[in-house]
Amino acid sequence: MSAPGPDTDVRSDIPPVLVENVSVRFGAIKALSEVSFTVEPGTIHAIIGPNGAGKSTMFNVLSGVYRAAEGQVRFGEHRLDQMRPYKIAGVGVARAFQNIALSAGQTVAENLMLGRHHLTRAGFIAAGLRLPRATKEGKLHGARVAEIAEFLELGDKLHTPVGVLSYGDQKRVEVARALCTEPRLLLLDEPVAGMNAEETHRMAEAILEIRAGLGISVVLVEHDMGMVMSLADRVTVLDFGRRIADGTPAEVQRDPEVIRAYLGSGDEIDPSEAAEAAAAGASSSETPGMPS
Amino acid sequence: MSESTLTEAPGAHPSGVGRPAPAGRGRSWLRPLLLVLALVVMLALPLYVEEFWLRTGFAAAGAIVGAIGLNLLVGTSGQLSLAHAFFLAVGAVSYVYVSGEPGGLGVAELGGLGLPPIIGMIVGVLLAGLAGLLFSPLAARLRGIYLGVASLALVFIGIHVLNSWTEVTGGFNGRSAPEFSLFGFTFGNRDPELYVLAVPFREAERLWYLGLVLALAAYLFARNILRSRPGRALQTLRDSEVAASVMGVNVQGYKARIFLVSSMYAGLAGVMYALSIGSIAPESFGLELSILYLAMIVLGGLGSVNGAVLGAIFVSALPLIFQRYADLIPFVGGGGLAAGEAARFLFGAAIVLVILFEPAGLAGIANRIAGRSRRPGGRVTEHPPDTPSRSSEPSPSDPPAQGSTT
Ligand SMILES: Nc1ncnc2c1ncn2[C@@H]1O[C@H](COP(=O)(O)OP(=O)(O)O)[C@@H](O)[C@H]1O
Ligand SMILES: [Mg+2]
Repeated sequence: MSAPGPDTDVRSDIPPVLVENVSVRFGAIKALSEVSFTVEPGTIHAIIGPNGAGKSTMFNVLSGVYRAAEGQVRFGEHRLDQMRPYKIAGVGVARAFQNIALSAGQTVAENLMLGRHHLTRAGFIAAGLRLPRATKEGKLHGARVAEIAEFLELGDKLHTPVGVLSYGDQKRVEVARALCTEPRLLLLDEPVAGMNAEETHRMAEAILEIRAGLGISVVLVEHDMGMVMSLADRVTVLDFGRRIADGTPAEVQRDPEVIRAYLGSGDEIDPSEAAEAAAAGASSSETPGMPS
Repeated sequence: MSESTLTEAPGAHPSGVGRPAPAGRGRSWLRPLLLVLALVVMLALPLYVEEFWLRTGFAAAGAIVGAIGLNLLVGTSGQLSLAHAFFLAVGAVSYVYVSGEPGGLGVAELGGLGLPPIIGMIVGVLLAGLAGLLFSPLAARLRGIYLGVASLALVFIGIHVLNSWTEVTGGFNGRSAPEFSLFGFTFGNRDPELYVLAVPFREAERLWYLGLVLALAAYLFARNILRSRPGRALQTLRDSEVAASVMGVNVQGYKARIFLVSSMYAGLAGVMYALSIGSIAPESFGLELSILYLAMIVLGGLGSVNGAVLGAIFVSALPLIFQRYADLIPFVGGGGLAAGEAARFLFGAAIVLVILFEPAGLAGIANRIAGRSRRPGGRVTEHPPDTPSRSSEPSPSDPPAQGSTT
């Protein structure tokens, strides 16, 4: 069992995530078969594996987009596998998408304000008539949104339409929008894919700071092995929808089946390289994402 | 990452003052000044222009209300509806029945409740809303073009009912619409007789102001919605239903509610339509009307309230103007095209041009003329906001064919 990092102050209201024997099928394809793992409160838990291993599918189960054919997902007293996505957001699960899913025509601020949706109340009548409570609510939450934007270095871009931002900036807006929901569990699907080394390094620092500052749990899907090894408290490895390993980064790296999966897929990562990268820390990771 | 650190927000409800993020548009003195000026001109107009323009103005005001409502549904939320004409009909018929007097004109025995017209107007809006609500379970589950096809059925049902429920609708002959009045003040030619600066204020002048007030209210309500929580939810679910729901938006609930709001707008537009024409008839509420409304919002600019206004004015006023000035316009009137036909050709051409050259519609053209982007800072961005980002974005470790759910 990995304990949270030394600088972490785990909040008491953060339950573990218990994924138990989850299977997902798409017709004949079994995208996930009986996958289990536990995300301990306040940890950074990485899910890795070759392309098509089922990582995004797992995120889709955790966020309620896909239904699991079998198994269950528990988050405190909530059964995430039985809830609709918007209800899952309501209990504090937030997700940044791998493929950016922002509204390109809206500004950064407007996209981030969407993250406040479940924390706010204004409906059509209150908003349409500009009732004082609606305006006040907007101001209040706008202030927190600006704070989060500042934290992810988007403070000067609040009023820029998302569509004109650089790719790296858009990725950060994705993460910021998820943070704006004040999550207890943050799901990050390849947050640094497509970023350059400098941006990757800063994102890694931001993730550590999120965990340290907010004390929340983070589940991270990532291809950048250097980043995974230096950030994660625990790693679950998927291959062809099966869990092939689960443990600390060091344990997982030595696991023969993991080595075989990565070598077998041919186009992925050399585990010895991964070990080096891990030793050197995230800052040295030159690859902005592994070739697929 | 940055010098600023992130700390837990106090509970779910943050406190503290800061920049109100979403509302922070550039504020200059020029905009409010122009708005006030425009309003003064509008208010003074009945003193100077002839009846034709005032009547055209009221017809346009009704179209503006309807177009704003349809644009909230189609442009903002990405839900296609061909049933707008049906909801206009519900509003118009309700008004005429609730506020009309019972009586038998020749063949048909007409019913009517004879209630004050303001009640008729409110009932018209509410019943159109109720009709929308009854249809909304379907509207919530269907998406885009599928909703369009399903909503088509309502138009045919509407026409059938209009033709056959003679006691209420007047049947295929239609029936006349009662004059509007408010607390004893009639929006007609007398009761009371009224002169302003020696100009007689008759029905056309009075309706002009009614149209102005209703259109302005419809406009402000829609603008406010778009700039706040429900508007952001609708725009996001249009762009990605998955993203919206994962961010906490009850997608089905919002689709149902915007359908309801849109049908209430249509109900009010229907009441105004009845007042503008002075009567209702089944053929007014056919599929063609739905399509004219779609033309308004496409021409004006999908998703833009200003666009709906411009498109509505263009589409509703043009045939009237053609008719009036037929002898002055080449190829129209006399041996040439009928005015209505000419207008339709022009709409067709205009829609093709808009789709080819300015997808943001008249609102986009207006913005361009004003020489500014929508955003403060005054910088007109080189690439249109829609080109980069999202689905087609190449990202190194992105396997293809994962849809928007990865
Ligand atoms: N909506 C879907 N329909 C059919 N197959 C899917 C769908 N989503 C994912 N899959 C399949 O499931 C497998 C796992 O995909 P995914 O979870 O996206 O992998 P990754 O680990 O790269 O994120 C792949 O074979 C993929 O083709
Ligand atoms: Mg993936």
